[in-house]
Amino acid sequence: MKRALYVLREAVTGFRLHRANSMIGIVTTAFTLASFGLFGLTYLNVRNVARMLQQDLQVVVYLQDDISDADRERLEQQLRNDEQVAALTYVSKAQALAEFRQQFPEESRLLEGIGPNPLPASFVITLASSERPSADLADFGERVTEFSGVEYVRYNRDWIEHLTLIIRYFELGAVGMGIVLGLASATIIANTVSLAFYARKDEVEILRLIGATGLFIALPYIIEGAMLGAMGSGVALGLLWSGFEVLRARLADSVWLSDVRSLLKFFPAQVSIMLIIAGMMLGALASFLSVHRWMKVRV
Amino acid sequence: MIHLFHVTKYYQGCLALHDVTLRVEKGEFVLVTGPSGAGKTTLLKLIFGSEVPTEGQILVQNRNIARLRPSDIPYLRRTMGFVLQEFKLLPGKTVFDNVALPLIIRGLSSTEITRKVMDALRGVSMEHKKTAWASVLSAGEQQRVCIARAIVNSPLILLADEPTGNLDPQLAHDITELFKAINARGTTVMLATHNRQIVEQVNGRVVSLHCGRLVTDQGGYR
Repeated sequence: MKRALYVLREAVTGFRLHRANSMIGIVTTAFTLASFGLFGLTYLNVRNVARMLQQDLQVVVYLQDDISDADRERLEQQLRNDEQVAALTYVSKAQALAEFRQQFPEESRLLEGIGPNPLPASFVITLASSERPSADLADFGERVTEFSGVEYVRYNRDWIEHLTLIIRYFELGAVGMGIVLGLASATIIANTVSLAFYARKDEVEILRLIGATGLFIALPYIIEGAMLGAMGSGVALGLLWSGFEVLRARLADSVWLSDVRSLLKFFPAQVSIMLIIAGMMLGALASFLSVHRWMKVRV
Repeated sequence: MIHLFHVTKYYQGCLALHDVTLRVEKGEFVLVTGPSGAGKTTLLKLIFGSEVPTEGQILVQNRNIARLRPSDIPYLRRTMGFVLQEFKLLPGKTVFDNVALPLIIRGLSSTEITRKVMDALRGVSMEHKKTAWASVLSAGEQQRVCIARAIVNSPLILLADEPTGNLDPQLAHDITELFKAINARGTTVMLATHNRQIVEQVNGRVVSLHCGRLVTDQGGYR
């Protein structure tokens, strides 16, 4: 107990004694992590919007003109039983024509000279949520094309694939930036702790003299690093949150972008806590690596 | 207790100790003498596990120092005390906290720590200064506190490297008396010095070194 208290007290003392260094460490770590957080936040929101768009996937199954009512009903039943189908609406030829006329009143006269209604009947299908919407959409489309009575299946796969690709690039970017900025933060913390360690080298020598183990000597510095990391990530989150709220307030004032405001989300509480824990662990690890080499010296 | 077998030590090609064989029994008071650069500090550092011999073997309490893993060294040191010429106290801590440090490291309870620290401080007549900051003590007081810290663990061996080097003759005399008292309680003491007065005051076994070689060993086991 006394030992644990000593280690904790030494960590806080070190932090306090080297206040200027500690503050520099916290601020630089905060800005580095905030840069990563900004990227992460952008990625999170792009992914959310993309997911929302992807979950709203619609497939239009056009029917052959000569399909009988019985075959149509059988096809409808077949589609309703499909586990990929979340919702299904039948649009008759007459409804299709009415919708066309409503949507394109100027062009509707083009259809008048070409005899009976040329627009096909169709099923408008909303697909169930999926983790891989692009692939599922393609699978579904190819499968349904083979169904009896189906003339043509239309689904807009290209933009889904583009969106998936963009998200993938964002993910890779996030991992890359995470590694680079994480290493930068770790280096800053390691440097701060190294300076603290060097400033207290006499104390370290005394501890060695009286039989302190490497771990006992290193622990206050590891805790100090963890504190720097946690505070740095806390400040980074604070900066991000403030920036995020300012952006949201600005968007609320804009007539055109006010809808976007409701789509924007900050990191959930669990993610924020995890980011602070990650900063803490990063700081502890950097400190450990920084003081570890000193622990091997046989003085 | 301490056995050195044909120990040689080089520092980056420079000879510090040459073919030293020495045996120190439990409860002995050994004075290691010789001029500066004779190898006194190297000898103590080798026994303390701070250095590894280039050649030869060192047994301390039947443990071969050269073969000890670095992680085992702290546990060996808990059975020894080391007093240096430079006092090596933590200036930002009180006398009590400085002396308590070896006991905190061992994980003793607060009650035990208080008892042992007060015993050690009484042993060096510094109990009245227990709440004083180490930085405000005089040189003699600082060395007394260092000795208290070295004996607070009741070590089997006490090593002292020129412990009176920074003290005036009267203080040096008093500190030497402290070492004699500690030795009288059964602790093996090895004290490195080039002060003739201390050698005469202790009147114990004298091991003389010159240019890294053991030249005389008088008054003890050979």
